[in-house]
Amino acid sequence: MNHPRRRLRLAALAAGIVVLAILPLNSTAYTNYQIALVATYAVAILGLNLVSGYAGQISLGQSAFFGLGGYCAAIATARAGWPLPASFLLACVLPAAVGLLVAIPAVRLRGHGLAIFTLALPLIGVALAKRFNGLTGGTEGRVAQIARAPAWTGLDTDQWTYYVVLAIAGALFLLARNMVTGRLGRALATIRENEVVAVSMGISARRYKGLAFSLAAGYGGAAGWLYVYTIGFVSPVEMEFLLSINLLAMMIVGGMGSVLGSLLGGVLYVYVPIVAGTVDPVRTTLLYGAILLLVLFTAPGGIARALRRTGDRLGDSRAGRGPGPPGPGAAPRAEPAASPLPRT
Amino acid sequence: MEGAAVRAVQQIVDGLATGSIYGALALALVLAHRATGVVNFAQGQMAVVSTFVAWSLTRGGLGVIVAVAGAIAFSLVFGAAVERLVMRRFERETPLIAVVATVGLLLLLNGLSSLIWGYDLKAFPPVFSGGTLRAGGAAVSVTALGTFLVLVAVVLVLYVLMMRTRLGLALRAVADNPDSSALSGLPVGNLLMVGWGLAAGLGAIAGCLVAPKLYLDPNMLAGVLVYALAAAVLGGFDSPLGAVVAAWIIGVSENLAATYIDLIGNDLRISVPLLLTVLVLLLRPQGLFGRREVVRV
Amino acid sequence: MPSLLEVAGLDAGYQRSQVLHGLDFDLAEGTVTALLGANGAGKTTTLRAISGMAWRRGTIRFDGRDLTRSRPDQVARLGIAHVPQGRGTLSRLSTAENLMVGALRRRDRSLINGDLQRCYDLFPRLAQRRRAVAGSLSGGEQQMLAIGRAIMSRPRLLLLDEPSLGLAPHLIQEVFRVLAALRAEWGLTMLLVEQSVVAALDLADGALVLETGRVALRGTATELAAMDEIRSAYLGT
Repeated sequence: MNHPRRRLRLAALAAGIVVLAILPLNSTAYTNYQIALVATYAVAILGLNLVSGYAGQISLGQSAFFGLGGYCAAIATARAGWPLPASFLLACVLPAAVGLLVAIPAVRLRGHGLAIFTLALPLIGVALAKRFNGLTGGTEGRVAQIARAPAWTGLDTDQWTYYVVLAIAGALFLLARNMVTGRLGRALATIRENEVVAVSMGISARRYKGLAFSLAAGYGGAAGWLYVYTIGFVSPVEMEFLLSINLLAMMIVGGMGSVLGSLLGGVLYVYVPIVAGTVDPVRTTLLYGAILLLVLFTAPGGIARALRRTGDRLGDSRAGRGPGPPGPGAAPRAEPAASPLPRT
Repeated sequence: MEGAAVRAVQQIVDGLATGSIYGALALALVLAHRATGVVNFAQGQMAVVSTFVAWSLTRGGLGVIVAVAGAIAFSLVFGAAVERLVMRRFERETPLIAVVATVGLLLLLNGLSSLIWGYDLKAFPPVFSGGTLRAGGAAVSVTALGTFLVLVAVVLVLYVLMMRTRLGLALRAVADNPDSSALSGLPVGNLLMVGWGLAAGLGAIAGCLVAPKLYLDPNMLAGVLVYALAAAVLGGFDSPLGAVVAAWIIGVSENLAATYIDLIGNDLRISVPLLLTVLVLLLRPQGLFGRREVVRV
Repeated sequence: MPSLLEVAGLDAGYQRSQVLHGLDFDLAEGTVTALLGANGAGKTTTLRAISGMAWRRGTIRFDGRDLTRSRPDQVARLGIAHVPQGRGTLSRLSTAENLMVGALRRRDRSLINGDLQRCYDLFPRLAQRRRAVAGSLSGGEQQMLAIGRAIMSRPRLLLLDEPSLGLAPHLIQEVFRVLAALRAEWGLTMLLVEQSVVAALDLADGALVLETGRVALRGTATELAAMDEIRSAYLGT
């Protein structure tokens, strides 16, 4: 990355932070809560990205950890009176521990087996949440209004919530970025490309995949905690399978294997139904599906990658590209032409 | 027969019946996977759409058997269309992208079904007459027996089709090596469409068989999909017979566990196929009937 | 007599790279032509261009029909059988099924069984292993199987990409014995890419030597075998 570009990025980031810092003071509670939700889901998607995008393991169970974190927040703080930092820690650590436990068989399974396994997690989670209704409030869920602005700040609850959630989310994003650009990220990339090669290089695929799983679960739990902090309510719906699918979908659309993509995913998750002017879950589902397919057809790397590519091209001052022959004539276009599959 | 034994027999037969539903959908998954190498998470949703079509036909005055036949015919075309218009694009991409495409399809079809038919529960006329058969003191419902026999018939028909006809040979060749098959003159694209059409047909059968019991709504097969996936994975994902046998095993063991193991009870039945699958895969990664894959560096 | 295959001004390649530059040659019916050249010269690409497995520009005419817009399965149905490098065995099907796949697109079904028997006569080893899963056959057997599957379609032109690759010398001999028999009994036109130059020139009527995507030398097999360049480059004499 050359210097002018890096400086531009930092400047944009700084500007963004300033805007975000001032925003809640001038906007409605509704907007502030929305943005907090965006950050919440972005964290969940970031976790999913760690295991699906970077490690290449299909996980359909992120909602289970999300819900678990949410229940930690509700039960530990609202019911048992734990201080907030403690319940936050619990919301990160408990799902991470469960994720690690789950990872032990999970990393031994490949592709399909793994997908099945992770798929069952939300289903079992929902059943357990309903069963232990003394603790969890059962199907009706549990109210847990744990966010309270301290008097000395002079802020309203929604504004305080906004700052807390964004600050925590920001820290988590930074942490993730460091991990991903460092050793962990490189190891995961090697494993994703070719596991056999990775093992021969001394990278323990299982250990790193297990680590990725655990981290993803921890992030999911953290997101769940942030969710309850924002919304003040948790129920088995938060663990549902459909949430896992939607998170996966928005991760892909935002950009798999990309920190920025996770953020975009969060934005999309919250704003697609709003922009479409609908609260109807039916239409929302339809939209997610349509957008996902649209993005897959046109920009499979997700929006983040498409943006990056546009940025590259704009900054690319070279006149032409390599030799390459002009139009392929009658042959199928742009295929891995070693042996193209015939298009009927 | 003693009371406890009678109950056990009934549980087993019921398990075989539900297992047959899982098996039909699992067969669909395996067929689609063999054709194009993709795990179709939208298989259940496609089946639900076909079942809705059957429902609409019955509302239009057709008898249930004719309506189901119509739905199967619809699904053959529907499956072929989905392959051609949606999946064709992703068959050469990474598995994750292809799977996510099916997830997108799932969401899209779910939303569309709700939009077109609504999300209220609908009654679906039963395919089999009610009533029970008695044998040696045990009572077996006609529906359960009928469902089981339908699957057996389906498996037989599929076997003959795949192993004894030219079309079946062509489908298997394309599933094995599409590029090499093209060099032998096989129209690969068309055959992929046929494969997905057949898979959708199997899904329609599963949907129509289970709709009377579960009531028809857009999410009717979500749970069944999980079981079907487990059965396919357990069977090895390459073996149609393996998927069916695994489905029966899952159906029976889930039923028995839910009845006799209190810890599991009715709400945690889903853990049974999970545990079974994970256990088997840990011991035998290629599934019960699968083939071990050699990865070349 | 018009040639069975006419290639003129053929450019071909994969994605952004171009391998063939203005290739020109004709194949007369009933002849065997060897396609020789160093690695990377474009021999395999030539076969793939004919079969529609690479992008191409120029003229490829088979029995008067233009092939440049045809897909691989369409090319095959016109009567060109391609035995690829790596053999393309349908490894999960049986030996017999592999052979039958070759005949799937034929209309004259009554003759298929007769052809199957002729295959087994040509390749006795395959006859013995007819029910075995094709993936379990040895390299030599799979090569025989690939050739057998190709001829089960009763092609008019047979493209062979390095049939002797990876085979022990006695198996190479057997492959060429079969090819000679095919040429003698069936009058099959063949375009043969080969590294075993001696055996190839021995079998072939004519030969082409490719260099960086162009025809560098052409002539009858005897002519080329006598040439000093060939002898020193390939025969080490």
